[in-house]
Amino acid sequence: MAGPSKRRARHLAFVPYAAFLALFLGWPALYVFRSAFAEADAARSPMLEAVTGQFRGSFVYSLQLSFVSSLLGLVIGSTVAIALVRLQDVRGLRNIVVGYSSVAANMGGIPLAFAFLAAFGMQGLATRLLREIDIDLIGWGFRITDFWGIVLVYLYFQIPLMTLVLVPALDGLRGTWHEAAQSLGASSRQYWRMVALPILMPAILGGFLLLVANAFAAYATAFALSSGSSRLVPVQIRFFLQGDTITGKTNLGYALAAWMVIVTAALVIGFQSLSRRAERWRR
Amino acid sequence: MRFSRTVWWGVLTVAAVFYAVPMLAMARFAFQRIPVIKLAPDNILAKWTAEPLFETFGDPDFRRAALLTILLAVATAVVTSVLLVPTMVAAHLQSPRARKLIELSAVLPFVVPAIALVVGFAGAFRDTVPFLIRNPIGLVPLYVITALPFTHRTLENGLAALDLRTLVDASRGLGAGWARTMVLVVAPNMRASIATASFLAFTVVLGEFTIASLLLKNTLPLYLAYAQGQNPQGSFALGLVLVVVSTVFVTLSNRFGRKVAT
Repeated sequence: MAGPSKRRARHLAFVPYAAFLALFLGWPALYVFRSAFAEADAARSPMLEAVTGQFRGSFVYSLQLSFVSSLLGLVIGSTVAIALVRLQDVRGLRNIVVGYSSVAANMGGIPLAFAFLAAFGMQGLATRLLREIDIDLIGWGFRITDFWGIVLVYLYFQIPLMTLVLVPALDGLRGTWHEAAQSLGASSRQYWRMVALPILMPAILGGFLLLVANAFAAYATAFALSSGSSRLVPVQIRFFLQGDTITGKTNLGYALAAWMVIVTAALVIGFQSLSRRAERWRR
Repeated sequence: MRFSRTVWWGVLTVAAVFYAVPMLAMARFAFQRIPVIKLAPDNILAKWTAEPLFETFGDPDFRRAALLTILLAVATAVVTSVLLVPTMVAAHLQSPRARKLIELSAVLPFVVPAIALVVGFAGAFRDTVPFLIRNPIGLVPLYVITALPFTHRTLENGLAALDLRTLVDASRGLGAGWARTMVLVVAPNMRASIATASFLAFTVVLGEFTIASLLLKNTLPLYLAYAQGQNPQGSFALGLVLVVVSTVFVTLSNRFGRKVAT
């Protein structure tokens, strides 16, 4: 059977991949944490400073933006998914909606910021058209660069992402369950509340965490909208660590980055365990 | 029943309008030389021109950025395949546990947001391998990492559809070595999923801003942000082109992906 040399040869196959990950993912992550915890005098450690005082506001702002855009994305994206499943007898509709959703869920960055500036900016086309029917967004204080403006932009990728998460889960609901509930005397509302929703719950919650992580890590769109002056955590990190500028507070930048990793890790772990639970019903 | 169908159609219509309006507005701003203020029903079809886009195409800075981005996209796709395919094949042949481990490792990039990855990378390599910070080629490993969760899933689907054990045993039995087997037997059988993974890698490179921006490398997304001040119409036109190109890439990868699944 496989001698020790052969077994070693088998493990050898994983060395390049493992080394690559260690070098370009593990080491950078380690470097972030090592620098974040570097300062010896623990009274004012960078990790503490990063979530108190002036930067606390940045985290609160980033998290609020992520939660609000994810909650709205969850509600609207789920509604779209349900509409799609209800109309699944229409030929080709599903391909179009799921297809565009996968495009839009990957959208982001600078082009998306441009599109929303052109539509909902001060001189935007949609702003102008809405004014024609007496909806004066600018007069109401709406700015595409403000909190609610960025929420609106984020919805462009949050809604389709939720749709993509929920459509397979809805497909997993079997018609026989509905019939069984009906024959036991359940109303349609009772079926949804007591059968369908509990089954869908892990997918919905998991999707929510995925959306929060997605929005929390987003950077380019908000950066472009605000011409670099945003309060978002990633933009603050850039302020400390960009290029070769030495601000003397680099450890603080690394501490902010370390907190971002911690928050994202918690969200991703939650998502993974919830989606594993959602899988159970699809066998 | 009729009533509820109308409601669901209404939902989809509102969503479609929301998806379409920003793109249409961007197209109008880019290609029509009339300010929004002066737009009226009688001039809605006037002064449309593709000139801003040609002006951008003529800009030497644009050409440099485009060339760099294409090179990075190709390099990212190649490194992804060369790194992932042999590793995943070996894991499939070895044990389900090895496969699970690789799968778990491929989700790790989700945990480290791009901004944290790039500042860690810059700090770690600045004093050790400064070449990777100075030369744009240093972006490639970071892009491979960023695309990893998507590319891995695609290749995993492709591998699951193969009878890998038989293929490899047959090839080895006929005297081919590992490298030959990988290049001449496994890779051709996985071409659909390798193509899909490559399209996903292209999409990532085409849209990535955070990493390139912090390392001060002039890729297309960076050029876009910079050109906004110089030539707003041209940069919006280019933004639209990027949206169209990545739509094509994602659609192609969906199509190939479906071929893999059947």
